[in-house]
Amino acid sequence: MVAIEVPAINYTDYSNRQLAAVPLAFLVLALAIIGGWFVATGAPANLGLEFTGGVELRVTDDGDNVEQRIRTAFDREPDAIQTIPAQTLPGDDDVVVVTFQASQNDPEGLANDLQGQAEAAGFNTTAVDQVSPSFASDTARTALFGVALAFFGMSVLVFALFRTFIPSLAVIASAFSDLVIPIAAMNLLGIEMTLGTIAALLMIIGYSVDSDILLNDSVLRRTGGFYESVSRAMRTGVTMTLTSIAAMVVMAVVAWVFGIGLLRDIGIILSVGLCADLMNTYLMNVSLLRWYKFEEGGR
Amino acid sequence: MLEPIKKNWRILLLVVVVIGSSVALFAPGFGPEPAPGENASEAKQGITNLQYGLDLAGGTRVRAPLSGYTATGVAFGGDSPGAVAEAVAAELDNASTRNVGVVPEESAVEVTEPSVTEAQFRAAMDAAGYEYEQIRSGVTSETRQETINVIQGKINEAGLSGGTVQQVQSITGEYFILVEVPGQGRQEVIDLLEERGTVRIDIAYPEGNGTAVQEGVLIQDDFEEIGTATQRDRGTGAYVPVTVRNTAPDGEQSPAHAFQAAVVQRGFPQAYESRGDTCRYNPETGETTTPCLLLVVDGDVVNSFGMAPDLADSMARGSWAETGNFRLTTGNFSEARSISLNLRAGALPAELDISGRGTSSSISAAQGENFRTYSLVIGVLSVFAVAGMVFLRYREPRVALPMIVTALVEVYALLGFAALLGYPLELAVIAGFIAVVGTGVDDLVIIADEVMSEGEVNSRTVFDSRFRRAFWVIGAAAATTIIAMSPLMVLSLGDLSGFAIFTVLGVLIGVLITRPAYGDILRRLLTVK
Repeated sequence: MVAIEVPAINYTDYSNRQLAAVPLAFLVLALAIIGGWFVATGAPANLGLEFTGGVELRVTDDGDNVEQRIRTAFDREPDAIQTIPAQTLPGDDDVVVVTFQASQNDPEGLANDLQGQAEAAGFNTTAVDQVSPSFASDTARTALFGVALAFFGMSVLVFALFRTFIPSLAVIASAFSDLVIPIAAMNLLGIEMTLGTIAALLMIIGYSVDSDILLNDSVLRRTGGFYESVSRAMRTGVTMTLTSIAAMVVMAVVAWVFGIGLLRDIGIILSVGLCADLMNTYLMNVSLLRWYKFEEGGR
Repeated sequence: MLEPIKKNWRILLLVVVVIGSSVALFAPGFGPEPAPGENASEAKQGITNLQYGLDLAGGTRVRAPLSGYTATGVAFGGDSPGAVAEAVAAELDNASTRNVGVVPEESAVEVTEPSVTEAQFRAAMDAAGYEYEQIRSGVTSETRQETINVIQGKINEAGLSGGTVQQVQSITGEYFILVEVPGQGRQEVIDLLEERGTVRIDIAYPEGNGTAVQEGVLIQDDFEEIGTATQRDRGTGAYVPVTVRNTAPDGEQSPAHAFQAAVVQRGFPQAYESRGDTCRYNPETGETTTPCLLLVVDGDVVNSFGMAPDLADSMARGSWAETGNFRLTTGNFSEARSISLNLRAGALPAELDISGRGTSSSISAAQGENFRTYSLVIGVLSVFAVAGMVFLRYREPRVALPMIVTALVEVYALLGFAALLGYPLELAVIAGFIAVVGTGVDDLVIIADEVMSEGEVNSRTVFDSRFRRAFWVIGAAAATTIIAMSPLMVLSLGDLSGFAIFTVLGVLIGVLITRPAYGDILRRLLTVK
C-alpha cells in the first residue's frame, strides 16, 4: 500500500535567497500576467456576466452544427458561445452558453427578445441571466471591496496573534501570493471572474492562513530548534494541504463531467491556490522566518 | 452517574447536535412554509426538510431598484401632504398626483413616474416652492415596503410556494427589491410583477326576494386619486380617501356623476339614514338586505361597505359629484391598507426597473434537479477523496475513521441548521460545505498530529496539554476564516452571502462542538488500552 510520506527538505543546503527566489519568481510572473491582462483588456481578469452586464442564455439542442445555427438564430451577434459537451448520462444534450454583452442603446426587453429568438430557432432554453451594466459595475465594486476588507481583516488578526512584524508579514505575504497566482492562472485557463470564483479566492485566504499559522506557531511558540520545528509543522501542514487538494481536484473533475461550471471553477482555483500555498509556505515563509530567527536575532 | 457525563460532555454534546439536526431535517413541522392551498408534504422537496435555492430547484430571481426620485429633508411649511403632492404634481407635465408621494415622517417627497427625470423633478420642487436638502434616486422606505407587500400578495395569490420578496441594500446605499420565485420561468415572473389586477366597485342591492348586483359602477380608471390608508382620529377604524374623476369629454357623463346616480337609484339615501345603519352583505351567500358597495378584485369580493348618512345625503342632493371625494372605511388599519393596495390595482406603487438597472436570472426546473443530484455526488466523492488521503497518511483506522466521521457530522449539523433556518441551499452553499469538510479535516489532522507527536500518550494530563496547544492553532485559523468571511455575510452579493454564512457557521460548529469531541474520542482510543 502506498503511504504518504511528507518529504523532509534539507533546508540547510539552501540560502534564504535561494529559497525565496522560486516563490518570488512565481509571484512576479503572476503579477506580470495580471498587469498585462489589465493593459490588454482593461480588466485584471476575464470578468463574467455578473461584473460586465449583459445577457446569458443556456440552451440545449440535440441537432448538429449547433454553434453555426446559434450564430444565425439571433438578431445580434453573440459575444461568446461556449459549448459544454454532453454529459455522460444518457439522454443529455450538449449545453451551449451564449453570452451577449450589454447593449447601451436598447436594454429594454433584450433578455425576452433573445429568449424568444432562441425558442423560435428551436432551441430549448434552460437558463436565462440578465444583468444590467450599472448593476454589474456596482457588483464589481462591492466584490472588490469585500475581498479587500476580508484580506485586511485577516492581516489585522494575524498581527494581533503573533505581535511580531516579520513573521506576521510572512503570513500576509504568502496569503497575498496565494491569491494572486490563482488569478493569473484563471486568466491563462480562461476561467471567468464571477461571484463563485470570488468565493473560491476567499476560501484560499482561509485555507492558506491555516498552514502559515501552524508553521509560525511551531517556530515561534514552541521549544525546539528551528529545523525541528519546521519539519514538525511541515509534517502536519503538508498533510492538511494535500488532503484539501485531493478534495478539490475530485470536485473539479466530477463537476466538469457533470457540467456544473461554478463548482468546477472553484475546484480548479482552489487546487492552484493550495499548490501555490505549499510553495509559498515552505519556501518563502520558511526563509523569512529563518532570516528573522537567525539574522534579525529573534531573541 | 454524573461523573461519566462530566467526563464525556464533549462527545455527548456532539450526539445531541446530531439528534437535533436529524429532527430539523426529517421531523414534520420544520419543513418549508407551504403556499396557500398547499399542504405541508407538498411543499417539501424530497425526503428532507431542506429547501433548495434557484440553482438547485429551478426558478427565477429578479433584482431591481424601484424607479423614481426622492427629495429628502423637505420643508413643508405647514402644508398638508395632499396639498404638497398637488403642488408638485402641478409642476410636472408627465405626472399626476397619483405619481407623487409625500411622506411627512421622512420629510420626503417622491415621484414614481419613470419618465420624470431628476432635473424635471428638481425643477418641479423648486417651482412648487418647497425647500429640500437633496434629491436621490429611488423611493421612500414607505413606498418600498408597500411595493414589497403588493408583490408578496401577488406571489401568494398566484399560489407560488417558496416565493420570496425582500429589499436589499447595495454598497452605494441604493435599495433593490429582490424577488425569488422557485419553479417559474423568467417571463412568467415578470408578467406576474407587471400584471395589473382588475379592481372595481359593484353595488349589491336587494331586489324582490333576492339580491342583484350592478357591476362596475366604478372601475380602476375612474379614480383620480387613491390615498394611503389612514387611521381615524377618534375611535377605532381606518379609511382610504379616494377621489373619483368628475370630468369627462363633452356629451358623456363623468364617472363621479354616474356613480352618484347609481348610488341614488339603488336606494342608499333611504337605507342609510342614521349612524346605526350598516351594510348587511353576507360574504358567504352573496345576499344582502341593504344596498352595499362591494370591492371586487380579480372577480372576488374582498370587502363590502355601507355609506355614511351625510355622504348618502350629498349624493341624493347631487352635490357630491362636484368634489368626488369619499372615504372607504374599514374596521381596522391593515384592512384599509390592503384596500388601498388593491385599488392601486396590482400596479406596484413604483415600477421595478428590471431592464435598466436590474438583473434577472432563471433556471429551468429540470436543470435544477440535475444539479441537485450532481452536487450530492460531488460532495460525496470529495469526502471520499479526503477519507482516502487521511487513511493513506495515518494507516490507522483508530485515528482516521473518527476523523472522517467527525467531518461528516459537521456537514450533517450544517444541513440541520439549513433546514432549521429554512435557508435555501444553493451551489454556493454546497461549495461552502465542501470548504467546511476541507478545513474541518485540516484541523483534525492538526489535533491528531499534535496529540500523537513525541511518543506515547499515557495520561490524561499529557493529552490535555497537547490538545490545548493544538487548539491554539485551530482557534487562530478559525478566527481568520471568520474575519475573512464576515464582510461577505453582510454585503449584498447574492449567492456569496450564503456561502459565507455557511462557511462561518461550519467553522463555529467545528471549533465549538465537533473538533473538541474528536479530541475526546481520540483520547479514549489512545489512552484507554
